[in-house]
Amino acid sequence: MSEAALCFDHVSKRFRLGETHDSLVDLAAYAFRRVTGAAPRQSPDSTFWALRDVSFEVPRGGATGIIGPNGAGKSTALKLLAGILRAERGEVRASGRLAALIEVGAGFHADLTGRENIFLNGAILGMTRAEIRTKLDSIVEFAGLERFLDTPVKRYSSGMYARLGFSIAAHVDPDILLVDEVLSVGDAVFRLRCEERMRQLVRDGTTLIFVTHNLEQMQSICDRAIVLEEGRTAFDGPAREAVSHYMTAMTHAYTARPADLAGGDAQHDGAGEVLGVRILDRAGKETVWLRPRDEVRAEVRFKLVRPIEKLTVELNLRASASENLISINSGRDNVFFDTREGVNTVTLVLPAMPLASGRYFWNVRMWDGVSGDTVIETPFKYPTVIDDEGRATGALSLDHAWSYDGAAASQVVDTPAEPAPIEAAPAQCGSGT
Amino acid sequence: MRAATTANIPLELLRYRELLFSLTWRNIRVRYKQSLLGISWAVLLPLSLMLVFTFVFTRAIDGVGALKVNMPYALYAYCGLVPWTFFAASLNGCVNSLVSNRNLVTKVYFPREVFPLSCVGSAFVDFCVAMTVLGGLMVYFHSAGQWSANLSATLLFLPVVLVVQITLTVGLGMMLAMANLFYRDVRQVFSVAIQLWMFVSAVVVPVPRDGSALATIIGFNPLVPIISAYRTCILEGTLPEAGGFLYATAVAVVSLIGGWFCFRKASHRFAECI
Repeated sequence: MSEAALCFDHVSKRFRLGETHDSLVDLAAYAFRRVTGAAPRQSPDSTFWALRDVSFEVPRGGATGIIGPNGAGKSTALKLLAGILRAERGEVRASGRLAALIEVGAGFHADLTGRENIFLNGAILGMTRAEIRTKLDSIVEFAGLERFLDTPVKRYSSGMYARLGFSIAAHVDPDILLVDEVLSVGDAVFRLRCEERMRQLVRDGTTLIFVTHNLEQMQSICDRAIVLEEGRTAFDGPAREAVSHYMTAMTHAYTARPADLAGGDAQHDGAGEVLGVRILDRAGKETVWLRPRDEVRAEVRFKLVRPIEKLTVELNLRASASENLISINSGRDNVFFDTREGVNTVTLVLPAMPLASGRYFWNVRMWDGVSGDTVIETPFKYPTVIDDEGRATGALSLDHAWSYDGAAASQVVDTPAEPAPIEAAPAQCGSGT
Repeated sequence: MRAATTANIPLELLRYRELLFSLTWRNIRVRYKQSLLGISWAVLLPLSLMLVFTFVFTRAIDGVGALKVNMPYALYAYCGLVPWTFFAASLNGCVNSLVSNRNLVTKVYFPREVFPLSCVGSAFVDFCVAMTVLGGLMVYFHSAGQWSANLSATLLFLPVVLVVQITLTVGLGMMLAMANLFYRDVRQVFSVAIQLWMFVSAVVVPVPRDGSALATIIGFNPLVPIISAYRTCILEGTLPEAGGFLYATAVAVVSLIGGWFCFRKASHRFAECI
């Protein structure tokens, strides 16, 4: 496969856990135990497989994202690609000039000035002095540090430091650029410029590998993504589908340990308990994953030890532990449920959940409408994942339309390379907000 | 820009020569940053050491007679101290070169040899600066009538001496850098060993040649012929004694090949073991 810029061929990478003899005394002690047979050669739990039999190929050109939860092996994969680490099994191949941006400003020396560090860091990233000299102005301008060029970087703010670091790396012009989670620094404007620069590099033919936790940013740059989970490839395909896959997997991980969220255990006076909250789509199929404009049904199944007349049901939705985004109370709608002993089902129907991409969690509260006593209160543990395909940032994802000189503007499909069909383009031209 | 196979290491290093220069330059720049005297320390350090030893051996204890030095002691000491400082400073830098650049070792790929090599490089710049002062000292002692300069074509042999010394230094430096990465005890042992090593390397006192057990052991020290070669070539106008110098050359070559081989072998584990 001469076409591939990067190739991971059944790669496994193992790390040793714990400190392995850091001093000669330890080594001597270990050697003695080995000789006397007291120490096993390698106990199986002293090692950790960061990657297990991972294979993928990255064709020349284009941007590929690598996503996954912490500890999934993303950075290990990148360091293997960069040649910093070597795999125990399998083969890692890369062809062409490769630059890795694993940490912004790695190799900066605090005592040297900005200018001196540009030359040093440029050389570390593989540029020649002549090359750096011709790009110096552009690097400085991109970082916006003209006035501080001859100041030692130890006096820089962390933002300035990061801007300079990224700016140098962005000017390396490699065939392959590896970027690891470095754009979380700097302000919003600089982040946008970095994204633009990366898109520019990709347009100019650079093969980009982008590791990040910021799914929105990843989608805006990459057309393809690989999801790593516990050192294995969980998904490899179009970026949008990768994000969906990852979010669903993350949600399941979250629901496995609901104690992480606010609330604690369900409180009730023994009058009943919630058996489950199912999120159903329009077709009645259970899902946790939705588009903002999809109809949502939240079906609450609960068990009561005695019938309750005029039961009030409330559902609350949160993205974080602190604040309700949605709070819908049947009592305020003058809807009360005359329930029976045993299992009951109440369903809340929402025509849409116009929220920005993210993970959200429901809780359920119930009151006895006559006595006012709380019957059931659960923690925020029932998940819903919204994916608005990166169209909105902020809290909400509202229907919207654009017009130009009074005429509705039409939508341009700007990703011709996108292999997946764009289903149900949500930007509703003409529907108005 | 990835880890090379054994066959193209020299090619790879050639590609990274700019980086080697940059890191060498950084070492020098950082060492003399925020110092009033700057690069003059390269001269001041061996010069003050020379004054200390001259004081000790000519004033504090009257040992010059026993030392049997056939030239002004200051000249003898300085001509030994400058190459010695080059050797010791190189190794001192090498020992910590990987460990103190942890950030680069774990975050960026380039041939790891660059770290110890840049330490040797920056010490070499100091060496060149300090060497110029030797010329001044020679002029001084010559014109003061205490010693007659005997410049000859043997000066042309100096680059050979230098190459042998650098070969030895690079080999040892790679081994030390690598060993200290795995076991931090190395730099502690090194700091003691280098002190002892100076006094058995004909730097400030001639080595005994009386056939004693000590003399035999010191005979294995490859630095004795190297340091002595500087004196014979520059100050005495004669070539170094062939047997000793060839032995030193052989040791240097073995150390370079062995050191580099081990370093290469282990270098892919540096990032995870540091």
